[in-house]
Amino acid sequence: MPNVTEGCVADAATGVRLATRSDEPDLRELTSLAVKGDRTAIESLLGHLRPMVVRYCRARLGRVSGQYHIADDVAQEVCIAVLSALPRYRDMGRPFASFVFGIASHKVADALRSSVRSAVPTQDLPDGPDEGPGPEETVVRYIEAQHARDLLARLPDTQRELLILRVVSGLSAEETGNVLGMSPGAVRVAQHRALARLRQLAELESIA
Amino acid sequence: MRTDAVLDALARREPVGGTDAAIRLLGALVADVDGQWLSSVSITPST
Repeated sequence: MPNVTEGCVADAATGVRLATRSDEPDLRELTSLAVKGDRTAIESLLGHLRPMVVRYCRARLGRVSGQYHIADDVAQEVCIAVLSALPRYRDMGRPFASFVFGIASHKVADALRSSVRSAVPTQDLPDGPDEGPGPEETVVRYIEAQHARDLLARLPDTQRELLILRVVSGLSAEETGNVLGMSPGAVRVAQHRALARLRQLAELESIA
Repeated sequence: MRTDAVLDALARREPVGGTDAAIRLLGALVADVDGQWLSSVSITPST
């Protein structure tokens, strides 16, 4: 198997070009230790990246039967793939997060291509009272979120990836730019256009 | 509020007011994605 490096990754499904960036020193140090097999560093690194990956996969894949099991399974696959690739990872002066989101983008594309949906397990019954939102609020939130996904899917690939990485995964403009191979300034221009386009689509739908 | 500041606020999960339909939809997506959070699963292989 070839060594995994941090170079640019082209997403075959979306055409999004995923570049890499320089990362915070502590995360870079953590990555360096993780590549050497330091178990604590591996746990910390994945603990840092996993929530962002889960959010990214959930935003891209949505719910199936009201649950995020498929998206969460894909996120888990991403983390396992990252873990498997760690020993072959070579620091080329670019951020590890870009490498991770490159893998995530490919895994999501694979999942979207697959029409097979396995049985969806139900959640265990809670032991105590449910502190979450009630059924009505949950349904309203679900409908609005699905509406957002539908409209995001109609944006150009780069605009959709930008908004999801920026807002859902919580990356900064600089981080998002490094993942997508754009300068921070270009990200700020593009995100303004993406938001305007999303607004336009929403308004057109409300009129129709 | 400038677009960058609004998106930063959404990314930090801070409430963003206003009637902007795009911001409202993104806020709904964020709330939905965050709302069904699952417990972290360790995937570090055992030795």
